[in-house]
Amino acid sequence: MYTSITDRRKFIKKMAMLSAMTAAATMFPGILFAEEQEKGIPNSANLDWKKGPCRFCGVGCGILVGTENGKAVAVKGDPNSPVNKGLLCVKGYHQTMCIQSKDRLTHALVKKNGQYIKTPINEALDIVANKMKETINNHGKDSVAMYTSGQSTIPEGYVASKLMKGAIGTNNLDCNARLCMASAVAGFLTSFGADEPMGCYEDIDYADYFITWGNNMAEMHPVLFSRMLEQKSRRGAKIIDFATRTTRSSTASDKSILFEPQTDLAVANAICYEIINNGWVNTSFVKKHCNFSKGLTNMGYGLEDNYKFTDKPSTIDFEAYKKFLEDYTPEKVATYAKVSVKDIKYLAAIYGDPNKKVVSYWCMGMNQHTRGTWMNNLVYNIHLLTGKISQPGNGPFSLTGQPSACGTAREVGTFTHKLPKGVVTNEKHRRLAAKIWKVPYERIPPKPTYHATEMFRAVDRGDIKFIWTQVTNPLVSLPKTSRYRPGMEKDSCFVVVSDVFPTPTSDVADVILPASWHIEKSGLYGNSERRTQHWDKMVEGPGETTPDAWMTIEVAKRMGYGDLFPYSEENHVEEIYNEYRQFHEGAKHGMAPLEVLKKESGVIWPYVNGKSTQWRFNAKYDPACSNGEDFHFYGKPDGKAVIWQRPYEPAPEVPDATYPFWLNTGRVIEHWHTGSMTRRIPVLHKAMPSAYAEFHPEDAKALGIRNGENIKITSRRGSCTLPASINERGLPTKGQVFVPFFDENMMINDVTLDAFCPISKEPDYKKCAVKVEKA
Amino acid sequence: MPIKSYLAHPHNGKKNELIQALSAIDQCEIVAAQNKEVLVLVTETENKVEEAILKEKLETIDSLKLLAMVSGFNTPQNN
Amino acid sequence: MKKRLGIISLFTLLFIAFIVIWNYSYKKGLEEAYIPITNEALVFEIPSEKGVFTRSEFALEYLNMPVDEAHQRSLETYYNNRAYPGAPPSIPHPLLKGERGVGGKACLQCHQNGGFVEKFNAYAPVTPHPELINCRQCHVAQKTETLFTASNFAKMNAPKVGVNNALPGSPPMMPHDIQMRENCLSCHAGPAAPKEIRVTHPERINCRQCHVPDTREFVDVEIFTRTNSLQND
Repeated sequence: MYTSITDRRKFIKKMAMLSAMTAAATMFPGILFAEEQEKGIPNSANLDWKKGPCRFCGVGCGILVGTENGKAVAVKGDPNSPVNKGLLCVKGYHQTMCIQSKDRLTHALVKKNGQYIKTPINEALDIVANKMKETINNHGKDSVAMYTSGQSTIPEGYVASKLMKGAIGTNNLDCNARLCMASAVAGFLTSFGADEPMGCYEDIDYADYFITWGNNMAEMHPVLFSRMLEQKSRRGAKIIDFATRTTRSSTASDKSILFEPQTDLAVANAICYEIINNGWVNTSFVKKHCNFSKGLTNMGYGLEDNYKFTDKPSTIDFEAYKKFLEDYTPEKVATYAKVSVKDIKYLAAIYGDPNKKVVSYWCMGMNQHTRGTWMNNLVYNIHLLTGKISQPGNGPFSLTGQPSACGTAREVGTFTHKLPKGVVTNEKHRRLAAKIWKVPYERIPPKPTYHATEMFRAVDRGDIKFIWTQVTNPLVSLPKTSRYRPGMEKDSCFVVVSDVFPTPTSDVADVILPASWHIEKSGLYGNSERRTQHWDKMVEGPGETTPDAWMTIEVAKRMGYGDLFPYSEENHVEEIYNEYRQFHEGAKHGMAPLEVLKKESGVIWPYVNGKSTQWRFNAKYDPACSNGEDFHFYGKPDGKAVIWQRPYEPAPEVPDATYPFWLNTGRVIEHWHTGSMTRRIPVLHKAMPSAYAEFHPEDAKALGIRNGENIKITSRRGSCTLPASINERGLPTKGQVFVPFFDENMMINDVTLDAFCPISKEPDYKKCAVKVEKA
Repeated sequence: MPIKSYLAHPHNGKKNELIQALSAIDQCEIVAAQNKEVLVLVTETENKVEEAILKEKLETIDSLKLLAMVSGFNTPQNN
Repeated sequence: MKKRLGIISLFTLLFIAFIVIWNYSYKKGLEEAYIPITNEALVFEIPSEKGVFTRSEFALEYLNMPVDEAHQRSLETYYNNRAYPGAPPSIPHPLLKGERGVGGKACLQCHQNGGFVEKFNAYAPVTPHPELINCRQCHVAQKTETLFTASNFAKMNAPKVGVNNALPGSPPMMPHDIQMRENCLSCHAGPAAPKEIRVTHPERINCRQCHVPDTREFVDVEIFTRTNSLQND
């Protein structure tokens, strides 16, 4: 806020206050002066403001929604939320504008003779329940499947899991978080035995260096990036952008280092080599708290149907690990990673300096990777070798892309192998689930079935005969939609789609169920920093729109499982959450009671004795540490984290003479996920009306492509035509094309490859080979 | 006209009492941190005598553990 | 003798070759120039990211700078100094470094970073594109108030302040094109910023996190329509 020079006294007072606040901020990083921030927000009319989390990305900003006459008319940042401290991004500010979209799904639609007939919701739910029951009777439990989302609320994910695994007794439940967070989960489990980051966003207030791995945070996690920029201007913290593309984040960073796709594996190993070679290893930390392991290599890429892989870890010693790293000297790696030896040594020196606090950030660049689990392991290696972990300002931090990828997909466990606590393969975990769900223990099958990609392959093959998708749009977001769209159109599978808006997925549905949007229902989300956030219903939804959790419950009741779902329509969110909390009781994952969540702008689990645990595994902050040492990695039976020997292996499909370009896909700041919400927000659509293909100017010149000209991008799987964009929003390296995937009218996922990480089963949307020609 | 800013640290759990005590004094303006046990205090007095009296008044507040001055300004009168 | 004959015939050959080539190129030159005509659809241009974060190192200074109300610019004078919104402003003051002054040695001395100029009793506006130093390629002086001949040129209405937000309290969209003006802080912060458009929060430097272009004025962007919907078949 500016102050006028004419009122000198006021100005001096303000300066005095500012200097005191600055002093306070250096003494107490992360300090909040809410009142002061609230002054900056225009108090618009006499609106009724209600708190909640933002509907979009995984940052989980706190929002306040202003309602007037039962309509949401304004959104502002929640100044009390420690995540965003009153600031949002352009999507956040305009989110509620999509609810009023004219093509909103307000009633159930049932397909009869190729026509969609408006149907009362009760009848539509009867049809869904009957069809599901009939399919189970005729083809067995494993012929029905549910595909949910990292945008499902905690209660929605919980009832879906209870219905599929507890009531019906099939593990045919997976979610779209498989496409975005699975490698992060597998990385955490293999390295630490416990999912989700050890640190929290407050690390930003302490760190000296932020190193982003293939992560354009300025556009994808803008609010966190702004917090980093603030630390950069106030404290001189440094941002290093390590990526395959020059973006807005690179421009704002202190240094931008570019690398050849897939070689991040080698560079990470080279950093570890340098750390060891220069004697920067925190020896006492590694001795006390780390083991060394290696797994299988040459795992393949999951391109064939029914591909199976199980890693076989074996323990190694430090000397063997050191020997292995000899293949990754900066000099050797520089030859194929296209990163200079100097830059590799520069990165290693930052990590290796014991006096510098470093946080590593990453999201889809490392997760959507055919060696995603390895890549996650490798960054943990760097932090473990240097002991820079689980301390304020020091640690690896895996960001998420969806608002409840952590809260629902990972914590409730809407994956085929997961249960609300633990995994289906573990008898103890199955027994606990059976006890809380009040079902016979034998009913929960001990073997995982289909992960996302394989689930839609099974639909295509005709093995799955009934699928219900909720809160997601797989026919835009799956890789290689050129196979899965015709697959879902087949008569062999009955498709139920619950959504708020029509999408390419609802286009192939047999029944479309009208879902309530975010603020038209109550719910809970969990963000990247383990923060659980609750909101109350703020406005009424139109027509017969119904909360997803309630639709699942209604179907369960109609299938004869009413006794397992004794929830009331008004209070089901609260009842379900209280039941779910029992799974996580204890110091390692305790969830806050609902009364606390209703009052606070979210709290971080483990919530123990009325307190959030901000840094896990660190005895100073985490009451679950019990080994008497400074750190305790209690996720593993022996209390030690694992440093993994993971080599560099090439991508499954690399550019060749016929398909000479890399194709990379991603997002832009204006749009979120498949654009089904953000494109219906006029402000955002006008700012970014369609997808485009980014080229390096030299490639464009060689091909004679001009800006805005239509270009056809073709792979072995399909093609897509889009306007060329030369040196506008982003600048890919030479030989690379970048396309945002939000545009259902220009489906780049018809082109992408459905290869995935054999351990996490997460597909790689960032690398495949394409050719380019004028359309 | 001295204007000074301080960081006021309350005794454990006495932040609210301190806020109340300080708000009652005319020459004090406060901004409390929402998540930490500290508040920012700005005092504005007419002259040095008044300043000294205020100082004594502040020292008698029970809930106040420590008062650390951050910056001080003195503007000439008639401005 | 033989040698001389050889030289003569070589020159004759060269001369003939010259005549032939000249003739050919002369005839070519008479042909109608061919310019390929391509049908170009109106494309939406994504604003460049160049220079977005320059000057951000001064963001905190801007924040703590008091406002000198006696010397601030207004949006009215800002637009009066331009032929139309988006046009390069003219130079409203005598040239301090004379007619031949260029870039770093002249205009940029005040206009690169701004600051108070005693001589003109005003703060110098900061240029958003200091890398272009041939300033007077686009910016010209105003030496006379009269016109050569009367003109029908009608000035386009300038974008208004305070009407560009979609929801009450939501961050306003950018109501103007930003080509060559990608760096927001140069016009929206500091003592030379017109008072109506001075940003209240210059410390938040990732401007486009919240403020996106409003393209209403430039391209007719239809509302989002589904074109590949199976239901439309």
